[in-house]
Amino acid sequence: MRKLSADLAHALAAEYVLGTLRGRARDRFEAIVRADPQVAGIVHRWESGLTPLAERVAPVEPPARVWDRISERVGTTPGATEFRVSLGFWRSFGLLAGGVASVLLAAFLYLSGGAREQPMMFVAVLTAPDAAPRMVVSMHSPGMLRARMVKPWTNAEGKSLELWAIPEEGAPRSLGLVENRMGDTMMPMPPGDPRMQGAKQLAISMEPAGGSPTKRPTGPVVCSGAIAPVRLKA
Amino acid sequence: MEAGAGGEKAVSDDAARLAELLARTALADRAAFEALYAATRAKLFAVSLRIVRERPLAEEALQDSFVSIWNRASGYAPAKSAPLTWMTAIVRNRSLDIVRRSREEPDIDDTLAANLADEAPTPDRAVQARVAHHTLRDCLEELEAEQRQSIALAFFHGLTHSELAAHLRRPLGTVKTHVRRGLIRLRECLERAGELGGS
Repeated sequence: MRKLSADLAHALAAEYVLGTLRGRARDRFEAIVRADPQVAGIVHRWESGLTPLAERVAPVEPPARVWDRISERVGTTPGATEFRVSLGFWRSFGLLAGGVASVLLAAFLYLSGGAREQPMMFVAVLTAPDAAPRMVVSMHSPGMLRARMVKPWTNAEGKSLELWAIPEEGAPRSLGLVENRMGDTMMPMPPGDPRMQGAKQLAISMEPAGGSPTKRPTGPVVCSGAIAPVRLKA
Repeated sequence: MEAGAGGEKAVSDDAARLAELLARTALADRAAFEALYAATRAKLFAVSLRIVRERPLAEEALQDSFVSIWNRASGYAPAKSAPLTWMTAIVRNRSLDIVRRSREEPDIDDTLAANLADEAPTPDRAVQARVAHHTLRDCLEELEAEQRQSIALAFFHGLTHSELAAHLRRPLGTVKTHVRRGLIRLRECLERAGELGGS
């Protein structure tokens, strides 16, 4: 596949987002987007640039049956109907303070398919004492940990969030600081890194700005969860 | 017309709430998914309706889009786009696919010309106080009238080049040139304003 010039990529991406690129040309361009991250990036920028304009539209209520159909269709994810995974379900069992529920939830995420970019190697859902999930930490490929914020903290002025790996025995090991905002913090984690060896749980503590001055957590643990290793699909 | 600082805060609170609902949807939280639908369904249905123009098709697009949102929620990266923008792009793409599939002959009539009047900015406190919209509107204003009209009809209503030609009563080649040149000028303007993130 020949490499597109920037001008051509922009011209095609703009017409793709606009909607005037149709038929086989649109299909071919979609194939290029899937194969070329640079072109995908250009499409993305045009979407960010143009799409907000589409949001300036007077709302129109859809009929209730649309939600019924959506509900039916997402409810038939394999394995989901048995688990009935809504967090309310787990909460009613009083299990969502980490431990069993986190592992089961991670197992569901693995089984449910379609919710990942690449096979996960482990996942940990970190929940607060009130059982609300606050972060999801996962490893998608050896070498990089992803800490994804579900709900940032509001009383964290002048504080830093520090992520700890907790082994069965021994002291917690710091994995670094996580940013207190929606989005992902990527943390390099070389294969065989000793901090993750034998780790069973992950936890976040609220530390002074810049992190703990010692090698141990000094502030309160604000969320934690069990690490669920996930076998890669064959 | 744009809201002041208070409006900006309201918008970012809305966006933060939607981002949290999306994050919880990624964790298979059905209640959060339902709340996400409740918060965005009317706007997204309207976006689809403008493209597909028939309610049954818009219902299908909305349904397909939300199933897609359920499956892909964990792929949403808050740093990369606003939550509603991410969802709107999904709905637009699905609507364009559906209308391509079903539309036979161009079905242009005067209601489209009347709809174009709707494209004039309306005060809409609830959603857009972002500076980016000022810039996009400013950039659209810089286009020639025919370029702007073609692009608006294509974007909001999903018209093809052939349909644009029929509606505007211009040759196909002329219409394609208007769209192409209009987009080039739009790109230059948006890049100047830093809205396309540079080349």
